[in-house]
Amino acid sequence: MWETLAQAVINGLLIGGIYALVSIGVTLIFGVVKIVNFAQGEFVMIGMYISFFLANQFGIDPIVSLLISMPVLFVAGMLIQHFLIRRVLGPNDMPQIFLTFALSLLLLNLALMLFSANYRTVHTSYSDEAFHIGGLYIPVAKLIAFVVAMGLSGALWVFLHTTDLGKAMRAASQNKDVAMLMGINPNRVFAVAFGAALALAGAAGSLLMPFYSAYPFVGQVFVLMAFVAVVLGTLGNVIGALVASLMMGVAESLGIQFVGADSGLIVVFAMLLLTLAFKPTGLGGGRAR
Amino acid sequence: MISMRNLILLVLGLAILIALPQVVTSSFAIDIFIRILLFSFIGVAWNLMGGYAKQLSLGHAAYFGLGAYTSTILQIDFGISPWIGMVAGGVVAMLASLPIGWLCFRLRGPYFTIATIATAQALMLIFLKFRDFAWGAEGTTIPNLGSAPLMMQFESKPSYYYVVLGLLALGLLITWLIERSWMGYYLVAIGEDEDAAEAIGVNAPKMKRDIYMISAFLTALAGTFYTQYIYFIDPATAFSFSISIEAALVSIVGGIGTLWGPVIGTVLLETTSALLQSWLGSSIGGIQLTVYALILMAVILWRPTGLIGVATEAYQRYVRRHPARA
Repeated sequence: MWETLAQAVINGLLIGGIYALVSIGVTLIFGVVKIVNFAQGEFVMIGMYISFFLANQFGIDPIVSLLISMPVLFVAGMLIQHFLIRRVLGPNDMPQIFLTFALSLLLLNLALMLFSANYRTVHTSYSDEAFHIGGLYIPVAKLIAFVVAMGLSGALWVFLHTTDLGKAMRAASQNKDVAMLMGINPNRVFAVAFGAALALAGAAGSLLMPFYSAYPFVGQVFVLMAFVAVVLGTLGNVIGALVASLMMGVAESLGIQFVGADSGLIVVFAMLLLTLAFKPTGLGGGRAR
Repeated sequence: MISMRNLILLVLGLAILIALPQVVTSSFAIDIFIRILLFSFIGVAWNLMGGYAKQLSLGHAAYFGLGAYTSTILQIDFGISPWIGMVAGGVVAMLASLPIGWLCFRLRGPYFTIATIATAQALMLIFLKFRDFAWGAEGTTIPNLGSAPLMMQFESKPSYYYVVLGLLALGLLITWLIERSWMGYYLVAIGEDEDAAEAIGVNAPKMKRDIYMISAFLTALAGTFYTQYIYFIDPATAFSFSISIEAALVSIVGGIGTLWGPVIGTVLLETTSALLQSWLGSSIGGIQLTVYALILMAVILWRPTGLIGVATEAYQRYVRRHPARA
């Protein structure tokens, strides 16, 4: 019993690390640019396909290909912010919601046209390896993904708190007008925030590739999880999103273990609805908006 | 009230729409007309809440599915006519909108949208899981009774066309009445700035709840009609995310928060989709939604007021150049 429980918690934490990369991206964009990026999951999907093709064509290990998927998506994010998102910023929600939603729809269906709905997998030397500690089973690929994900999250935190650009981003997220008066260029800050968020999504995709299949709809799983985690962890809060993502991973895994294999999503929706019913401002407090 | 010219236009348009299935007899064409009328109607229902009050739901499939399932369960398990089931489905959807609205309206803007997506998905999962009372994932076919107008089953496609034309007329009439009432002005005020509307005494939570109920009721009617039309129901079609998407899309492309916007948007999108299908066949998956996404992006970036906005601007330019003739 305890071993099953411990195993479920470990599985949940390991996948929760990936959820965290996606959620931190969503919450970073929400905090700084003040929009919700409905297309975040599609960038995880793109990261997966980048790693898949690099592994397939050039034999590059998916985890190493993170060094390519992250910069590619960073640049893509800056361009998207500059040419698309920038044009709809303002008090009106409708264009913001439906622009990123249209982007999600576009990328998903383009992927469907280009790559078909087939599942793509990459088999690495460590895909089947696992550590056995006591009665517990820790797959190497998931452990690497978790460790790298935590490292990237930590790096983002350090970036936001120690570098000038990071501090400018936090300032712009707190009060854009005052930040501008202090000489911060909001367009540059927004572009970096969007780029960084997409780079994290790309990293999530590459890290998933050794143990997860790529297919056009794959991003939807992760983005739903991220949205719930971001509400749960208080909108715009990076640490909150990280903690909530790990909790979501554990909750999903416990649901699969004790309720049934197809109940993971039900647990996620139940958590969202409970959060909305009892703590709509998230676990960290603050205003719902 | 209606001006004489508009009344003539309305009667003329209605006459053409009634005559249309008698003149065009190709069943492929009538099928497309039915789709256009159906999605116009769903768009009109969505637009009441999403367009006027700017509560941008992407979860209207929840009510479409509840309507479809209520009438089908009543028909198959109790032998009750879908005409009654349709109204019952509407009432079920209205009641369901109360707790769903209570949860989702706690959030504003994009997070309201996400919460509505989650509720529709959760309902789909529930209907997938409980196979004893709603046939689970495999769904069920509707027993074909041949020509049975009292059971909403017809042998000719034009009859279905007239049913859905009636639904659309109902939806437009309700929208027209609301647009001209105090409720309409309150809703637009909420859509412009909810806090400001509350400050001048608009009871925003009550207004949002009421319009959500009306919108859910109408969407459920569409669900019943669609199930009767295709003689089949399963959770994946009844609660399909693409229904939620199309409801919002047609309104935004046509002109959000306007009476005719959803209709114009549907005509454009469904015609595009039919043309794509006849040119390319259904061989390339994803092409239809790719094109929809591009149209949506173009509208949002260049003409956020939709096609109605484009037409209004053009008309005003024309009037300015030719003041005598207007």
